Amino acid sequence: MITVQRSSSGSSHSPRSSSSQPYLSISVTEPVKLGNGVQAYISYRVITKTNFPEYQGPEKIVIRRYSDFVWLRDRLFEKYKGVFIPPLPEKSTVEKFRFSAEFIELRRQALDIFVNRIASHHELQQSEDLRTFLQADEETMERLRSQETGIFKKKPADLMQIFKEMQTRVSDVVLGKEKPVEESNPEYEKLKNYIFELENHLSEAQKHAYRLVKRHKELGQSLSDFGKAAKLLGACEGHALGKAFSDLGTKSETLSVRLQKEAHQLLMNFEEPLKDYVRAVQSIKATIAERANAFRHQCELAETIKLKEINLDKLMLTRSDKVGEAELEYKELKAESEEATRRFENIVRVMNEEIVRFQDQKTQDMGIAFHQFAKGQSRLANNIADAWRSLLPKLEACLS
Amino acid sequence: MEQQRSSSGSSHSPRSSSSQPYLSISVTEPVKLGNGVQAYISYRVITKTNFPEYQGPEKIVIRRYSDFVWLRDRLFEKYKGVFIPPLPEKSTVEKFRFSAEFIELRRQALDIFVNRIASHHELQQSEDLRTFLQADEETMERLRSQETGIFKKKPADLMQIFKEMQTRVSDVVLGKEKPVEESNPEYEKLKNYIFELENHLSEAQKHAYRLVKRHKELGQSLSDFGKAAKLLGACEGHALGKAFSDLGTKSETLSVRLQKEAHQLLMNFEEPLKDYVRAVQSIKATIAERANAFRHQCELAETIKLKEINLDKLMLTRSDKVGEAELEYKELKAESEEATRRFENIVRVMNEEIVRFQDQKTQDMGIAFHQFAKGQSRLANNIADAWRSLLPKLEACLS
Repeated sequence: MITVQRSSSGSSHSPRSSSSQPYLSISVTEPVKLGNGVQAYISYRVITKTNFPEYQGPEKIVIRRYSDFVWLRDRLFEKYKGVFIPPLPEKSTVEKFRFSAEFIELRRQALDIFVNRIASHHELQQSEDLRTFLQADEETMERLRSQETGIFKKKPADLMQIFKEMQTRVSDVVLGKEKPVEESNPEYEKLKNYIFELENHLSEAQKHAYRLVKRHKELGQSLSDFGKAAKLLGACEGHALGKAFSDLGTKSETLSVRLQKEAHQLLMNFEEPLKDYVRAVQSIKATIAERANAFRHQCELAETIKLKEINLDKLMLTRSDKVGEAELEYKELKAESEEATRRFENIVRVMNEEIVRFQDQKTQDMGIAFHQFAKGQSRLANNIADAWRSLLPKLEACLS
Repeated sequence: MEQQRSSSGSSHSPRSSSSQPYLSISVTEPVKLGNGVQAYISYRVITKTNFPEYQGPEKIVIRRYSDFVWLRDRLFEKYKGVFIPPLPEKSTVEKFRFSAEFIELRRQALDIFVNRIASHHELQQSEDLRTFLQADEETMERLRSQETGIFKKKPADLMQIFKEMQTRVSDVVLGKEKPVEESNPEYEKLKNYIFELENHLSEAQKHAYRLVKRHKELGQSLSDFGKAAKLLGACEGHALGKAFSDLGTKSETLSVRLQKEAHQLLMNFEEPLKDYVRAVQSIKATIAERANAFRHQCELAETIKLKEINLDKLMLTRSDKVGEAELEYKELKAESEEATRRFENIVRVMNEEIVRFQDQKTQDMGIAFHQFAKGQSRLANNIADAWRSLLPKLEACLS
């Protein structure tokens, strides 16, 4: 199992042992704002280092934008049915945050993780679309992006809508609202229920983690405001009391800075991993929808074939001259049916592997995230405790 | 005499018979009486003393907020120059009027108020204080409704009167009015200091209050997160599920700790700052009194000069109004001497009061800050330990 590490801008990860150990390592770096007004967007420098024979060379640098990543995700989703495609960060809905430093950095990080997860996946890393994404010049990329074939004719915003419709259909199926054209597979049922329950609880937890970040910031701001007021008071008072007020004020301001830093850490190392987990689960739901589609398609063909068989027997009995035509149709349909069955069974096989991979990966990822959370909180709290305690001897000077 | 923040029910009497004079008061047991808009809180006021002027070693009476206001008003009128201890504000927001927190804060503040009066070498001799501590409720109610002097109005309007005084004092300080003010540089410095202090203190107190609120909010968020994490833990199962559950449980524990600390902050830090603000406002009222006394003295001095000139004129013309004028002049002179005496007394008293005030508040604020820093430090250590105790369990998750 390959562990994906959260990468910082500019770092890349290539073992130096010549070409014996195959590697494919990608960095998404240097976000740059291009264009003006409503058309403005961020472009990224995508650096690929690899010794895979299918690639053009050991290193390649291209410029990509968010919609290019979306194109890649859509192509992979269409080609590799059953695989849990790594999730993308959301398209920004709130205009004013679209170019904030924090948003840009979070997005860059998430995109970097996205491509590296693809590069670490034993099937996805072979993808031709991935090679195109990592190596094609910008004009080619733009042309491909605008073609938008398959079910993804719509813009990314509408894609979400399609996923939502899929989700509803799957929910309907799970809830038994539609006529049961669904697998009677108890283990798979359990998995689906788990995934749906997980998404709800995760969203809740992530929402509250985000609020936690906000509260840290607010507490920091209040401490800063108080510190300033205390210092003004100190200047006004003078003598021992004035010194005490000033010391209190200075300490408050110092701690405020520390709290704001911690809020930022919380966002990066805790709230964002939770968000990433939510996106991963949503991606799995899309795969679940694909499997349901494939199953339904297989069933429909099986039904159609039965009817065709009955019809064919009838024609043969009546020695109709339509027999030849009907036999041909029947053969085609049978081939289609076998293909549909193969596709469905492939999805099932792949999903089984994917589930194991996913469980291990997220246990690791979340374990790291919590560990960093607890460590960060602990360190912050110790800093705060020491800061206040250092003030005590000075304050004792005030008391007669 | 050191002022300690008293908890409900405690009282403070040295057992050495009657050698050491003591006057110790407790404001306890707030009880809601009446209904609807008429509802109010009554307090049990217990006095323990060996002062000879008092009826006995112990007395218990029932008092309400407006009785304390009556006492404050009487003392302000009688003891000019003294910085009368401040009262907690009348509640403006209806829905908080009977919240447990508000009631306790008010009880504490009223207890501090009477004990400060009891500790003050002049104020403790007050007859009005004895009335307040010993009279039966009917007498008290009667006195309260009389509301003599400048305090004819209800307590809410009293604030208005103080505000007008403050404006007048500000006008005087800013030189807006014709300068009928003392040309005393040290006193000028004091007035400027008091006005500047009030501004900065109010700011600091406002932000201290916000700090309390932020602690509560952080605690609430931790609690919400903890619940969500536990649900997640139940859903996941295995090592990850356990990690989520542990994280959730720890968050909830810390949330409780934060809420407790927020309460401590309110009681031991924000409230003392508020008390300091009120004390400064009380001093401003005394500054206004001194300005009034000074102005009165000046006006009489002016009037006397005119009377002297008039008298001389009458004497020169040998008018038959001389006798009458001489009488008026004598009366005015006596009034003028009285006014001067009153003003000089205020100045003398204020000088002592300023020293007493500076020492007291340095002590009070020193204690408040110390408790603040200690409380914050302790809270932070608890938090650090709690999160650190989680690390080994989380390490079990990582392969």
